[in-house]
Amino acid sequence: MTPLQLAWRTTTRYRVRAMLAIAGVTVIGALLFDMLLLSHGLLLSFADLLNSEGFEVRVLAREGFARVPIPDSQTIADAIARLPSVADVAQITLTLAEGRADQKPPRRLTLVGRALSTTRDAATGCEVEINHVLGRALDIGPGSTFRLTPMPSADAATAMPPVDCHVTAFADFGFNASSDATALVSMAEYRRLVAQEHVDAEVILVALKAGSDAAAVTREIGTLRPDVHAYSNEEVVAQFNRNGFAYFRQISGVLSALTTAFAFLLIATLLTVSINQRLGEIAALRALGIARRRIAAMLLWESALLVGAGAVLALPVGGVLAVGLDRILRQMPSLPERLHFFVFEPRALIVHIAVFVVTAAAAAVYPIWLASTLPIASTLRREVI
Amino acid sequence: MQCPCHNPRVVAFAAALALIGILDTAPDILISRQLAATAHLAVGDVITLATTPTGGRSSSFRVAGIYEPTPDPMRFTAQRIEGRMHLPDLLTLVTDPHDPASADAIGSINVALAPGTDPAAFAHDITAGAPTVAVRPTSRPPQDDPFAVLDRFHLAISVVTMFGATAFLLALMVIRAEERRETVAILRLVGIAPRSLLTSVAIEGLMIAIGGALFGVALAFATEGLINRFFQARYDTALVFIRVTGPLAMKAVAIAAPLGVLAGIAASWTLLRGSVLALFRR
Repeated sequence: MTPLQLAWRTTTRYRVRAMLAIAGVTVIGALLFDMLLLSHGLLLSFADLLNSEGFEVRVLAREGFARVPIPDSQTIADAIARLPSVADVAQITLTLAEGRADQKPPRRLTLVGRALSTTRDAATGCEVEINHVLGRALDIGPGSTFRLTPMPSADAATAMPPVDCHVTAFADFGFNASSDATALVSMAEYRRLVAQEHVDAEVILVALKAGSDAAAVTREIGTLRPDVHAYSNEEVVAQFNRNGFAYFRQISGVLSALTTAFAFLLIATLLTVSINQRLGEIAALRALGIARRRIAAMLLWESALLVGAGAVLALPVGGVLAVGLDRILRQMPSLPERLHFFVFEPRALIVHIAVFVVTAAAAAVYPIWLASTLPIASTLRREVI
Repeated sequence: MQCPCHNPRVVAFAAALALIGILDTAPDILISRQLAATAHLAVGDVITLATTPTGGRSSSFRVAGIYEPTPDPMRFTAQRIEGRMHLPDLLTLVTDPHDPASADAIGSINVALAPGTDPAAFAHDITAGAPTVAVRPTSRPPQDDPFAVLDRFHLAISVVTMFGATAFLLALMVIRAEERRETVAILRLVGIAPRSLLTSVAIEGLMIAIGGALFGVALAFATEGLINRFFQARYDTALVFIRVTGPLAMKAVAIAAPLGVLAGIAASWTLLRGSVLALFRR
């Protein structure tokens, strides 16, 4: 009989304790798996969100991500659009506004003005694209009309007069929080709505042609206008990784370490207590001529069976748990609706397996030493007679 | 003969006079500990602040003190490079000479209300009188508080950990119960009532659970300072990240105790309810 078969027999003989141990490892393993998903999940999701917008470079007035108008943004936007690797340039600015529709309470919203280098920017009456949050709040959709009142920005002294706006379509704004209402108009229309002849963009988004190097374009933009700051999506993610997401990376690191230590201690304790209970049995096996190495291999397999079964079951349980925990964390205010904290990546699975292999081996060390060094005769006398 | 303006002593004297003049006229500024450390500044130093990186409008200020920024959990990852000055000094510094109205504009006004005043009603009154002003209370409603969300997240993790720990505790108690199969059989044969045995295993489970919970609380107390010091050094903040409080410790023990009792009883149930002969495997 091989050590694996011996271990299997022992495990199935003590079914209740084996099932409880596996249940414990499953729960702890699920938590560990989730912490591994959390460690990079937010970054992966954030990078995915950035890339899904279709723009690879963003240009801002200041270092960091403060929303400040870029002086003479039209000139720099035109210069960027002429770069050979640039496919499109979008100038974006935004302000608060209020929307009103019949029978519905007024809804505060973000009014976005956008000018694309590939399309003509013209004020053709207030035609807006809205997101579904605003649509639901005012019960409006494509074809509807509602009253839009731009709220005063820091520069404006008075409120703007309300304007009737026509909804042309629903739009999905990637960085919208689940409760954010947003309306999008052309930059020319935006200028008309806020009654300002000249409005500088707060951010310029740059879409590159396929195969272009974003880092090279950011350097070129820096040469064009040294007073602006251009960031590739990778740089934005790296900056958020250093600042905004550090907490979740650290908490996942701390909890991963704790859950691994917890799993190790408990499996080691269970195996040790189990060995202490079976000292007579093991001494008898040794007396029958079964080698220490086979006994050690059997105990290692026992540990592997308990930890392995738990680790495998931990994956689906962890997946379900991740959905629940993600739902809790996504209740954070002002969080983009499409941002997730727990994102699967193959690396997490590999680390999960590696951690449990090491845990199973480490947890079996002391019980193996105990079983290998026990004095056969005295143990048999004490345990059997 | 050397021209007085080229004489180093005269130049030094003139510089000292100018410095005294600046020190006399420079308004005071308080700077954060982090700014003082980064820029190697001390109380009494004269610094120049400018509105643009290229020097734009600038003014000299005398460092009147160094303060520890109030810990802000919302900004604990931010480097607190900041200073505080009198509002007229700030307005003088940032006012756009081409826009005199900017000298009369400020970003926000903090209002301390008299005890018993309803912040929502106050905000409503202000908004009614000045519709272009946004008024909001400094306390966040629970739905807008990210720390309320983090609290729920940590609670969820605690519950999951508790389930895992309970499974392990049950497994241990099952092993302990099986170890004592024959002892329990003998005790039952000599007439000890199952109820008494059940009570004893419940007490044993209780002791193990309370012992474990107390050890956990002691471990948390012991590591509290270590973890706080690590994160305070990591983020250069005075923010307290972990605080093990009495009610929290009590809650841990209160949750662990019934779980221990239940685990003990559940693990021993078959030994106490089955036939005595079965316990002897006959």
